[in-house]
Amino acid sequence: MLSLLLAIPVLGAIAVSLLPRRDLAKPIALTSAAIGFVFSLFLLTQFDLTQAGVQFAESVAWVEPIGLNYSLGVDGLSLPLVALNTLLTLVAIYSSRDDLDRPQLYYALLLFASAGVGGAFLAQNLLLFVIFFEVELVPIYLLIAIWGGSRRGYAATKFLLYTALSGILILASFLGVAWLSGDFTSFDYDAISADGLSQKTQLWLLTTLVIGLGIKIPLVPLHTWSPDAYVESSPPVAILLGGVLAKMGSYGLLRFGLDLFPDTWHLVAPGLAIIGAFSVMYGSLAAIAQKDIKRMVAYSSIGHMGYILVAIAAGTELSILGGVAQMVAHGLILALLFNLVGLVETKAGTRDLDALNGLLNPVRGLPLVSSLLIAAGMASAGIPGMVGFAAEFIVFQGSFPVFPIPTLLCILSSGLTAVYFVILLNRTCFGKLNNKLAYYDRVTWPERVPALVLTAIVLILGVQPNWLVDWMEPTSAQLAASLPSAPVAIAPATEAPELATLRSPQL
Amino acid sequence: MVQAVNRPAIPESQHPYADIIHRLEAGGSMLPDTPENLMQIIGIYKAYAVPMDFYWRDLLYIAEKVFLNPVPAFKYFISKEYLDRPNSYAGDSADLRIWRGEADAHPELREFMARGETGKLPKLAHHLWHDRVNMEFAEACMRAMLWHQGMGGRFYDYLESDEYVANADRAIKAYFKGNPAMLGLYKLFPTMFLEKVRELSYYANLGLFWEVMAPVFFEMSDLYDEGKMTTVPEAMDFLVNGIFAVAGRPIYHHLYIGDECIEIIPKSAGFTWLYEAALPYVEAVFYRTAPFRGTKSYNAQAGQVPEQQKDFHYGILYADVFPVGTAGIPPTLLMQDMLHFLPDYLREYYDEHCRGDDDILIQLGITFQRSMYNVTSAVIQALRGALLYPLDDPNPRHRQANRQFFESQMDRFLRPEARLRDIQRRDYR
Repeated sequence: MLSLLLAIPVLGAIAVSLLPRRDLAKPIALTSAAIGFVFSLFLLTQFDLTQAGVQFAESVAWVEPIGLNYSLGVDGLSLPLVALNTLLTLVAIYSSRDDLDRPQLYYALLLFASAGVGGAFLAQNLLLFVIFFEVELVPIYLLIAIWGGSRRGYAATKFLLYTALSGILILASFLGVAWLSGDFTSFDYDAISADGLSQKTQLWLLTTLVIGLGIKIPLVPLHTWSPDAYVESSPPVAILLGGVLAKMGSYGLLRFGLDLFPDTWHLVAPGLAIIGAFSVMYGSLAAIAQKDIKRMVAYSSIGHMGYILVAIAAGTELSILGGVAQMVAHGLILALLFNLVGLVETKAGTRDLDALNGLLNPVRGLPLVSSLLIAAGMASAGIPGMVGFAAEFIVFQGSFPVFPIPTLLCILSSGLTAVYFVILLNRTCFGKLNNKLAYYDRVTWPERVPALVLTAIVLILGVQPNWLVDWMEPTSAQLAASLPSAPVAIAPATEAPELATLRSPQL
Repeated sequence: MVQAVNRPAIPESQHPYADIIHRLEAGGSMLPDTPENLMQIIGIYKAYAVPMDFYWRDLLYIAEKVFLNPVPAFKYFISKEYLDRPNSYAGDSADLRIWRGEADAHPELREFMARGETGKLPKLAHHLWHDRVNMEFAEACMRAMLWHQGMGGRFYDYLESDEYVANADRAIKAYFKGNPAMLGLYKLFPTMFLEKVRELSYYANLGLFWEVMAPVFFEMSDLYDEGKMTTVPEAMDFLVNGIFAVAGRPIYHHLYIGDECIEIIPKSAGFTWLYEAALPYVEAVFYRTAPFRGTKSYNAQAGQVPEQQKDFHYGILYADVFPVGTAGIPPTLLMQDMLHFLPDYLREYYDEHCRGDDDILIQLGITFQRSMYNVTSAVIQALRGALLYPLDDPNPRHRQANRQFFESQMDRFLRPEARLRDIQRRDYR
């Protein structure tokens, strides 16, 4: 059944690229993405919330001599990300400009990239994960290089080099686990383990894996490709790039770091927590310094991914839950932000903070877009009632008992998020619209739809976060239970709160 | 009045607005002469004239009838007498009939007063819903004239004279006759009511000014519709001629209590329309007004507001006309009023540009700005005609004097806020 999730975008991509008519490219791509999204919703309804393990599993032997099987499945960690991927693919395709050059190629690449990302979340085999991880690389590279901004060549090449290196390091780590452990039979998740390796070997392999995935997340100081890639991408590509592609890194860290190296994780966790906190601070401070609103959002994304890293490093039931929730929340909010920033750029012709002003003006400004931008800024800053708050709160509560100082730094930095969003909103939305510049085109209702839908989801999941965390809870608990006792590096006196204490009515 | 000249006999101006100065010297307007500009300004004059027909009537109603009513809640509910009051310069009963319009209120105004945008409702409902002519704009203009003073003429000085104070005292006592509470209050705070009467004299002043302007604008619209007004300079000349035709119109303030008429400012005081109403109005409303625009906070301590009122530059000629909801400039309420009476050709024109109906208020506001630059051009040409030399004067010294006059007028638009450069562009909307 899960193969359909891959087949739908792939068939859509093939149909789009083979059809000679340019005008049908978007409708077909949109239909394909919509079917994929509806199917992922169907999976959500069929998913057994009481089960922690993999569901809807399917496995076909593929290249048996090297242990590569076509094994797919979803659990509480991957299902929300699969749904996020299909949603953001739909949003990205819907919000793509109608006057694109070479639309067949564009939409085919978007769908291929989406299939690659979906496959990575569904894969139950390490080599299959790496294949899907690499599959999305070329489409995204081309999407940046062909339809990107003025420095697209530079940004695309940088993205390609970094991500290729990331893939090589991940593959090297996986191969190391397989080849160095004596009883290797296949790369399937349930068949491979690093338990038999010495701690030193495990540490090397885990470090390699962390660097590989850290590039993708991206972690500071491995992040330098991402602001360029985000800024030079067209908004729909940036939505996919920041909304779901980056989550492959954090998902991989959660899936393989904790699952493959449970005994070694506690050795790298303190360092990761510190890097995570540093990423949060760095991303926030760098965002404050930006004049380009898209670059500001890009640095904001780097900061927010730091929360996820701290949560994964803590490895408690609650922090893992918060980490996955934050992946979804961040994906939704970042997609909303990139969509709105894209609309502002399209209509106002600039992303320069010094040039934009008074967009809330109801007559000639972009009042609804500005209002939604304010809502998105509030969500990103963790204002209660929005999904960002729910996710960050769980992250902080789950991580604090294990890594109190990095968590406190994250909390402090979440205040900085409010600072740069206030700067952004104050300069762009408020103030006086310059009548000499304000001949902006109207934002049509179809253009508003993606942002309205994403805002609605952000608000609904903020008010009712159980609808988000219910999917993840059993798997998070199982994953946390598989880890040895709490890390000792910066272990606090207090214990991590039980997940049950965070359930309703608080959340 | 304004006659074009063929070639300059003096060197070209080196002023930053030299092109516009040369145009003025050639008998033109600050507004470029294009059919599009003409269509816009004539259309907006017509849309302005209809609410103006209400403004002048209600201003006089307030000055002459409502007067010092301590609770003037119904001052915008004009009486039938004032709605039917014949215009002194239009209609068969006019003292001096120059223009062709009817004497009583314009039919479009009457229709709007009856139905508004929302339909036939009680007058109070229309009032509270602001579905009416917004007199607040007229009052803001009046207040600008009162507040700025010192703009030439003798009108304000007269308000401080013993004669005026005695007349006002007589009027106050007569108005509050049989009302011991108000008379007691007057005894306790004599200057309070006196100051209020001074303000009411400006109501009368502005009402009498606009009584002339409404038929002028209607006539211009009719001439344009008939194809008899074909250029922007013709429109400006028409205004100049109108200014001179009624320049001597008396400006006065009478109070009516029943059948009794009390002359607070008698016609015999000798105040005339051009110097005591028209020029102060242009100076106060077009150039100065006040730094309360609703979109920007000025820091007076930091020198962002000029020390001298004469240096204020917040009038319509400098305004960013984005509607901000204030009564004054930018003229949000006036734009709303004009919106109801736009000719079809202007409405269609706005529909084709920018955001069409969505930002029509801004578009018509900018048209209004263009049209007021044309009115200001007429005032500048009229002043030049009154104080200096004809444009075709062969004497180079006289032409140089005219040049200096025009340059000094253009100096007022050197400020970055001035929209003179903007209105030269077709795409400024």
